[in-house]
Amino acid sequence: MLKYTVRRIVTGLISLFVLATITFFLVRLIPGSPFQRGGVSEQVVEAVEQEYGLNEPVISQYMSYMSNLLRGDLGISYQDPSNRVTDIIARAWPVTASIGIAALAVSLLLGTIAGVVRAVTGKRYVKELISGGSMLAAGIPGFAAAILLLLVFSVKLKWLPASGLMTPAHYILPVTALSLYPAAMISRLLSNTLSGELQKDYVLFARAKGLGKWRVILVHALKNSYLPVLNYIGPASASLLTGSFVIESIFTIPGLGREFVGSITNRDYTLILGLTVFMGAVVIIINLFTDLLCAWLSPQTRRAYRKEEF
Amino acid sequence: MSMLEVQNLNVRYLTENGASEVIKDISFQVEKGEIVGLAGESGSGKSTAMLAVMGLLDGRAKIQCRTLSLGGGPVRPGYNAAMIFQDPLSSLNPSLRIGKQITETIRLRQKCNRKEVAARAEELLDMVGIHNPSLRMRQYPHELSGGMRQRVVLAIALACSPDLIIADEPTTALDAVVQAQILSLFKRIVRETGTSLLLVSHDMGVTAALCSRVYVMHQGKIVEGGSAEDIFYSPAEDYTKRLLADARGSRKVPAKAAESTPLIRLEHVTKTFDPSEGIRDLSAEICKGEIFALAGESGSGKTTTAKVLTGILCEDSGHLYYKGKLLPGKNRMEAFGGRVQMVFQDPCASLNPGLTVRQALREALLASARRGGETPDPGRTDRKITDMLELTGISGGDADRYPGEFSGGQRQRIGIARALITGPELLVCDEALSSLDATTREQILDLLFDLQKKIGFACLFISHDMYVVRRISGRIGVMYGGRLIEAGSTGTVCSDPWHPYTKQLLESVPEPDPLRAAKVKAAPSKERGQDAGKGCPFAGKCGYAMECCLSEIPETLRFGERQVACFLYSEAHSGKRDRNYKMTSQI
Repeated sequence: MLKYTVRRIVTGLISLFVLATITFFLVRLIPGSPFQRGGVSEQVVEAVEQEYGLNEPVISQYMSYMSNLLRGDLGISYQDPSNRVTDIIARAWPVTASIGIAALAVSLLLGTIAGVVRAVTGKRYVKELISGGSMLAAGIPGFAAAILLLLVFSVKLKWLPASGLMTPAHYILPVTALSLYPAAMISRLLSNTLSGELQKDYVLFARAKGLGKWRVILVHALKNSYLPVLNYIGPASASLLTGSFVIESIFTIPGLGREFVGSITNRDYTLILGLTVFMGAVVIIINLFTDLLCAWLSPQTRRAYRKEEF
Repeated sequence: MSMLEVQNLNVRYLTENGASEVIKDISFQVEKGEIVGLAGESGSGKSTAMLAVMGLLDGRAKIQCRTLSLGGGPVRPGYNAAMIFQDPLSSLNPSLRIGKQITETIRLRQKCNRKEVAARAEELLDMVGIHNPSLRMRQYPHELSGGMRQRVVLAIALACSPDLIIADEPTTALDAVVQAQILSLFKRIVRETGTSLLLVSHDMGVTAALCSRVYVMHQGKIVEGGSAEDIFYSPAEDYTKRLLADARGSRKVPAKAAESTPLIRLEHVTKTFDPSEGIRDLSAEICKGEIFALAGESGSGKTTTAKVLTGILCEDSGHLYYKGKLLPGKNRMEAFGGRVQMVFQDPCASLNPGLTVRQALREALLASARRGGETPDPGRTDRKITDMLELTGISGGDADRYPGEFSGGQRQRIGIARALITGPELLVCDEALSSLDATTREQILDLLFDLQKKIGFACLFISHDMYVVRRISGRIGVMYGGRLIEAGSTGTVCSDPWHPYTKQLLESVPEPDPLRAAKVKAAPSKERGQDAGKGCPFAGKCGYAMECCLSEIPETLRFGERQVACFLYSEAHSGKRDRNYKMTSQI
């Protein structure tokens, strides 16, 4: 298992390197200079470019960027030279991560409860209600849900604050908007696999052992049903933790997603690169973590990983 | 009052088209410490009746019963009654350790601490003959062998010290040697614990081996019940007679291969996956127009042999000859040009549920025509399909139905039709009868046999069931641990086995006769310590093992048409022999 983990980390680092390289050259393809804007003369632009080393050949720029990257230095923002890229990430990510983690927890909890109830219940209308609800939640685009929530709960009813992240109450609307889709997906996936698992012989045998209905469902069947859910949660949590531009814009949250979109419109080379590399690292780490979690849940997956090592 | 008393049990299923009665007014009793059998073909309602007794049927089933009592009280699963199912692998939760699956049952009944529970679980495992229980407790189901899994399931069933154990086809998924071990285990457990056992089985041999009383079920009714001797020796009902006749079956006289020209020859073929899986140094030949059977326990390499032969897998080393020509390692399917076809074990899984029977057959026909470079004429294709279906006993009018609408036996007929429609020279049947009950198996066996006689294709018939193998094949090969340990004509091998494993395999098959079946000896399950990969694969379990068996691999010795891989027959280890010495069995 350790060997597997180490190998995954190494391949992760290689993908990160490839990601950084591709992004570096793609960014250079964006027309225009980071310092070009109305009212700034050609001379000034050239002077600043010279200061940042942007007039050197692209290859040597790449070499120096990579060597800095190896030392953990992502450079300074071209747009806002008083801030290092790492500082910007350190400021924006905790904000994004806190609503991301909250949304993840909420969607897991809601999705699991709805999924289990839908699979287990004998009542037709409960089943239909949950199916319909999850279809609706999965179907509404994120921005529409966010605006709707904003309109109803903070503009009309004035129950909840509309923007910023000052108090716990501020979290409720953005977290709800973010977790609707994953919660719906989790509940659908879980209820489908769980109803399949409940048909299996080991469930019948567990009941023949005299175990109670809920113990059979929660201890025996649920553990086996979580595998496909986990495979969905991996990528989903990666997207939650790297921030949603739409949600962050609507609720004016100073998170990573907004910084990212801002950096692209500003052609802020170092910030684009820095954020890409950082988000890539988050995605890779989360995927590794999900795979290890799958191995922990299922002994067969664990065996497959061990076999891969040879 | 009996231990288990069931009177006038009715089960109805509520469906959209009204209620359908699956169990019709059945009554039976089981005394304390008695083993009672419930026999009948699959679909006769045996399992449903048992689930109804246990109260494990789902909400759609409506159960009515005049009396249903166990030891004077209600049946309570996990408290006074336990149930065991057919497939031990699917009965156990794949993602929980064995230990936990046992201890959770113990904890249900009594409050005790972790240590006491673990000690009790180990005691149970020891009772069902599992060595090194503390190691097994930490393992997962997939790490155990099939027989071991069924022992674990039995240990779980015993955890509540039940008054009654219902075993639903407990040995059907196991091969003969392991089956004999599990059956003798059941016998011992009943003797030691005094529990009652209700054994549900379609296998009359298994029923005869264990039960003192037998009920025969047919279409949801109990048609006959009585002592095992009465049922087996003087059955009153026609259905029972038919069931017994099917189970006894007459031995077919296989057509002697008209010409013994080899169709396919394997020479020293090796294909390994894990240190313990695959085939090693296998040499055999299949002649034109003969039925050659491969027998042996699961995991002995039978299926791997079939896969290498058909070109699904590529061998690691060795050579294959087709009509005397060396076959290429790659694109073997092309080299055969559709002249080798397969029939698989599971007829449900091997037919595409989205294609009608006609489409499935046409696809096979077109693929083989395309390989031959012809453009088939649609009218002739259709006629050919109808003819082939009629030949395999499916009415031509059913050609446009989907596989899901047929029964298991019919689906296997379709599988055979699909394989035969391209006019193959070799038909490979991989456990083609194993998923069928006795009566259906008999019909398909007849069909295969007749078709083979009529068309004259060669057939490689793979089965773990010695009983079937013995009856259909002309020549037989016995595999163990990836090696072909004995081969020869079926009649001589089965009546006079030379290799100790062949003998054990033959002795393990219970016959549908209480007197004889009771004599079936279970081979010891304990293995002698042996280095994996060294020596004869069977040495660890062999009663005749010598020192050389543990260290060297016996070479294959040939005596006329017979071949055997055992040191008992080698000159080096049994002394020099006269040149004209006629070899006989040494065991």
